[in-house]
Amino acid sequence: MKLRTYKYFFKESVKSIWRNKVMSLASIGSVMSALLVIGIFLILVLNVDYLAQKLESQVEIKVHLVDGLSDNIIKDIQKEIEGLEGVKEIVFVSKDQALKEFSESLGENSYLLEGLEGDNPLSDSFVVTLVDPRLAPKVTLAIKAMSNIENVVYGKEILEKLLDITYFLRIGSLAIVGILFLISVFIISNTIKLTVFARRREIGIMKYIGATDWFVRGPFFFEGVLLGFLGSIISISLLATGYYFLSRYIEQQMFGLLVVSLMPFNEVLNTLIVALLIFGVIIGSLGSMISIRKFLRV
Amino acid sequence: MMIELVNVSKTFNNGHKALKNINIKIDNGEFVFLVGPSGAGKSTLIKLLLKEIDPDDGKIIINGKDVTKLKRREIPYLRRSIGVVFQDFRLLPDKTVYENVAFAMEVTEASPKDIRRQVPIVLSLVGLSKKANLYPNQLSGGEQQRVSLARAIVNGPSILIADEPTGNLDPDTSWEVMKSLNEINHRGTTVLMATHAKDIVNAMKKRVIAIEDGTITRDDMKGGYGI
Ligand SMILES: Nc1ncnc2c1ncn2[C@@H]1O[C@H](COP(=O)(O)OP(=O)(O)OP(=O)(O)O)[C@@H](O)[C@H]1O
Ligand SMILES: [Mg+2]
Repeated sequence: MKLRTYKYFFKESVKSIWRNKVMSLASIGSVMSALLVIGIFLILVLNVDYLAQKLESQVEIKVHLVDGLSDNIIKDIQKEIEGLEGVKEIVFVSKDQALKEFSESLGENSYLLEGLEGDNPLSDSFVVTLVDPRLAPKVTLAIKAMSNIENVVYGKEILEKLLDITYFLRIGSLAIVGILFLISVFIISNTIKLTVFARRREIGIMKYIGATDWFVRGPFFFEGVLLGFLGSIISISLLATGYYFLSRYIEQQMFGLLVVSLMPFNEVLNTLIVALLIFGVIIGSLGSMISIRKFLRV
Repeated sequence: MMIELVNVSKTFNNGHKALKNINIKIDNGEFVFLVGPSGAGKSTLIKLLLKEIDPDDGKIIINGKDVTKLKRREIPYLRRSIGVVFQDFRLLPDKTVYENVAFAMEVTEASPKDIRRQVPIVLSLVGLSKKANLYPNQLSGGEQQRVSLARAIVNGPSILIADEPTGNLDPDTSWEVMKSLNEINHRGTTVLMATHAKDIVNAMKKRVIAIEDGTITRDDMKGGYGI
């Protein structure tokens, strides 16, 4: 196939889109709204994944010891934990140290803790980091089985909740995206049907003068792809703008309060562009192929 | 042998037998009239040659190939070797004369250079060089039909088929079209023309094949229209 043939397809499809403004706009609008929803879900899933990953890499196990252990016993426990498989590092935090850190973290509100120095309610603890966060449950169990341990905590609950959320997000978005996808395909195929109808004379003539099937079909196929492409460009721009301002707003408003931030704009943008362009073009080409098959029996 | 039909029959879906056991041989460079009353089967025969429809049985050989055995994707190439014109011209109203003719070459992915060379040649052959930039609705019926003739031959087909090309024209403009057809035939293209125009057939003194009710009733080398 020759370059000028593609140029011809492109020219003809632009002409049809222009001639058929209302239906073209409706098609672009429907692709756009489908892709907006797809994009919003995508952003949510990306961010929850991002959050989960950040949390996972921060997993550390906190081992609280029963009160009043002698230094020797504490040293023994430390050795025992160090000996466990998967333990990378273990740091001892005395209860005095813990109180001091707590009071520092309160800043100007630290007066709340005044008077507790003599009767520290906190306990001595170890902070254990692992070579692999997935070992956390196993290591936790092993430590729990030791004596003189008050309790063992790690960020398991939050992590699991997050993973649950992403699961439901995925299932929910799949259903909604599927429906919107079908609606857009339908509207595009209807638009192409109108173009085929408007040009049936020309199609008839083309057949008599020896045009091949794909030559007759080319402009219609291009039209669908172009409609899908335009819809995805618009939705990408809207989502990118929205995300940019949202992430800036969150950063400014909640500076320092959030442990984790939104996924960086650039990373989101790349995924968004690739995913939505592919989606848009698939919707467009499906729509045109359906009408071509149904209404263009050459 | 350019065109050869061997025992060709065609029955339509509704059971109507439009052609019954037709045998025709047409040589390279011949000019043949196809005559017969309305409903005789002339257009059906033309549709068979263009493989718009397929026969019940029999062989249809064009340029040495059995058309009935062609695959779907080979049909466009068959049609490029056969130019066609119809009673209703079938020009594109939003293209100029030049563009209408050039379109037939664009469809075959000819190079712009070849298009620029070939289109003026065929336009002058049908006497329309001066009207190249007009639109179909600015032309007389005879001129429009000559544009469609130019379009039919621009890709250099070896056969030209015309189904009542003068059917919508008055006698004077009909003769303009016949002159062009004759000129095209003189340059070596085989011409097959279905018509009801008695005067034209009688005056031209060409081979006449008459069909009635789906069968060939006459095949005269220098015949007139008949009854
Ligand atoms: N698609 C079809 N289905 C059923 N019958 C058909 C079909 N096409 C043509 N016929 C019938 O076949 C017969 C031959 O038709 P055809 O068009 O070949 O006639 P014709 O010789 O070209 O007539 P005219 O001079 O009026 O153009 C007619 O009786 C017509 O009604
Ligand atoms: Mg007819």
